[in-house]
Amino acid sequence: MVMLTEFGKILIFIILAIVFVVITLFLNKLIRPNRPTYEKKKVYECGENPEGSPWVKFNIRFYVVALIFLIFDVEVVLLFPWALTYKEFGVYGFVVGIIFLLILALGMAYEWRKGDLEWARPEPKPPILDDLLNSNKSEERKK
Amino acid sequence: MELANLYQSINLIIPEIVLSIALIVLVIADLIFHTNKKIIPFIAGTGILVTAIFVINQFNYIGFAFSTATHTARSFGMLAVDSFGVFFKLIVIVSSFIIVLLSLASDEIQKTTDRIGEYYALIYGMILGMFFMITATDLILIYLSLELLSLSSYVLAGFTKLRDRNSEASLKYLLYGAVSSGLMLFGISLVYGLTGSTNLYIINTLIQNPHINLFTLSFATILIFAGIGYKISSAPFHFWTPDVYEGAPITITAFLSVASKAAGFALLIRFVKTVFVSYETNEGFWSLIEVFDWQSILVVISILTMTLGNFSALWQNNLKRMLAYSSIAHAGYMLLGLVVLSNQGLIAILIYFMIYLLMNLGAFLVVMLIANKINSEEIDDYNGLGFTSPLLSVSLAIFLISLTGLPPTAGFIGKLYLFIALVDAKMIAVAIIALLNSVVSLYYYVRVLKHMYLVKATASTPSIIPSTSNAILLLVLVVPVLIFGVYFQPLVEFAKDCIVILGI
Repeated sequence: MVMLTEFGKILIFIILAIVFVVITLFLNKLIRPNRPTYEKKKVYECGENPEGSPWVKFNIRFYVVALIFLIFDVEVVLLFPWALTYKEFGVYGFVVGIIFLLILALGMAYEWRKGDLEWARPEPKPPILDDLLNSNKSEERKK
Repeated sequence: MELANLYQSINLIIPEIVLSIALIVLVIADLIFHTNKKIIPFIAGTGILVTAIFVINQFNYIGFAFSTATHTARSFGMLAVDSFGVFFKLIVIVSSFIIVLLSLASDEIQKTTDRIGEYYALIYGMILGMFFMITATDLILIYLSLELLSLSSYVLAGFTKLRDRNSEASLKYLLYGAVSSGLMLFGISLVYGLTGSTNLYIINTLIQNPHINLFTLSFATILIFAGIGYKISSAPFHFWTPDVYEGAPITITAFLSVASKAAGFALLIRFVKTVFVSYETNEGFWSLIEVFDWQSILVVISILTMTLGNFSALWQNNLKRMLAYSSIAHAGYMLLGLVVLSNQGLIAILIYFMIYLLMNLGAFLVVMLIANKINSEEIDDYNGLGFTSPLLSVSLAIFLISLTGLPPTAGFIGKLYLFIALVDAKMIAVAIIALLNSVVSLYYYVRVLKHMYLVKATASTPSIIPSTSNAILLLVLVVPVLIFGVYFQPLVEFAKDCIVILGI
C-alpha cells in the first residue's frame, strides 16, 4: 500500500473530476436525440432574437474610470488598518494618513485638470433627408 | 514594528522623501502653470540637486531601515543604507541631472511642450524606483521598486509619439518586461515557499541548511535572475534592448542605458552578495554557499552577453541601435567584475560605471545634437562631418575610442581594472575572451570615425555648431574622459571607499 501525501489526494481528486466530466458529456452525446432546427442553432440571448454582433467596441473612457476607481478602492483597503491602529499612532499617524490622502487627491485633481474625466461626447449630427434616402437606396441594392 | 524604530527609519530615507516631495511639486506646478512650462525643467533639476545633497550626507553611514523583526537580537530591515548604495544613488543622480540638461537640448522632447510636466514626473518615478531598488534587501520591496522603475520607463519609451517606432518600442518593452517580471515573481514565490521569508539576510542563513531542496532553489534563483537580467539587458534577456533603444526618444535611451542599468547592477550585486555569500576571506574574496554554483552561470552569461552584443553591433547602420548593442556588450564586461566574486572585482565594476556614465551619456549627447540638425541617426549620414563640424566629431571620436577601451582615454582604465581583477582570480581564459571581444568592438566603433573623417565633405554636408550651453555640457563630459585616462587615482580611491555592502 502506497501512502498518499496531501497533494496526492488532490491529484486523484483532479483526475476523478476530469474523468467524470468527460464520461457524462460522452454519455449525453450517445443517448440524446439530435434534431437541430434554425431556432435552436441561434445564439441564446435570453429568448430574444440576437441583434448585431456581440463584438461591440467599448469606449476607452471606461478603462480610465475603472483605473480611477481602482486607486480609490486600494485607498480604502489601506485606510482600514490605519484606522484600527489610529489610537496607537496618535497625531503622527494622523498626519501620515492625511499626507497619503492629499497625494491621492492630487492625483484626482491632476486627472480632472488634464481633462481625463471629460466624457468624449459624439458630435450631434442632424440627419439630412438626402443622405437618408441615399443610404436606404444603397441598402436596397445590397439586398 | 515599534514606533521609535519607525521614526528612526524615516531619517534613513530622506533622499527618497525629498524626491517624492519634488515629484509632487512638479505635478502641482504642471497643473498651475498651464501655459508657461519653462519653469518645470528648472524644478526638476533643482529637486535632483537637493536630493544629491541628502544622498551625500548618507555617505559612511551604515544601518537598516524598517526592521521587521524586533524579537530577535539581529533584526534585518527592508532597506540597507550603506556606501555601496550611496555610490549607485550618486550614479543615478548624476545621470538624471545630465538627462534633464539633455532634454532641454533635445528637439524631440521640446516638441512635446504641453506634456513636459508628465515627462519629468515620469523621470522622477524612475529615479524613485531606482533608489529603492539600490537599497532594497527584501524580495517584496525589490519587486515593487523594479515595477515602479519599469512602469515609468514603459511610458517614457513611447513618450514623443512622433514616429511609429516610438509606440513599437514602448509596446515591446512592456511585453518583455511583463514576461520577465512575471518570471521573477514566480521565482520569489518559490524562494518564499522554501524559506518562509522574503528578507535576503534571513534567506542567506536559511539556505546554509544542508536539507534545503537544491533543485527548487536553483530554479527559483534563475527565475529571479531573469527579472534582474532583463533590467541590465544581459544575454538571454536582451532582445528588447536594440528595438527599445532605437525607438525611444534619445534622452530616454541614454537614461535607460546608464541609470537603469546601474540600478539593475546594484540590485544584482547586492542580491548575490547577501544571499549566496557566506563569508569574506582576508584577501577580499567572497566564499559562495555550497548550494548553487552562481559563478559558472555568471561566467557563461557574461561571455554570451558581450559576444552577442559585440557581434550584432558589427552589422548595424543606425548609430542609436549600434550603441544599444554596445551597451549590451558593456553589461557583459561589467558582469565579469561580479564573476570574480571579490572586492577587487567590485571596485573594478564601480570604476567602470563612473567612466561608462561619462562616455555613454557623452556619445548619446553628440548623436542627439547631430540628429537635431540632420534628423537622422544613420551612419551613412555622418559622411564628412569631421571636416564641417569639428567639435562634435572630435568629441564623438573620443567617446567611441573610450568605449572601445583604448588608452589614453578613461575607458582603458575601466577595462584595465576589470582584467586585473580577472587575472588575480586566476580566470585567465575569461580575460582573454573579453580582450578578444574588445578587439571586435574596435571595428564598429572605428567605422563611425571612418565615415566622419575618411569620406570627403560635399557641399550638402551640414555644418553643425552646438549652442554655447550644449558645447559646455559636451566639454564637461569630454574633459573628464581624457583626464581620468591619465590621472585615475581619485576614481580608484573613491571606488575603494564605496565597496561596503551591509553584510552579515
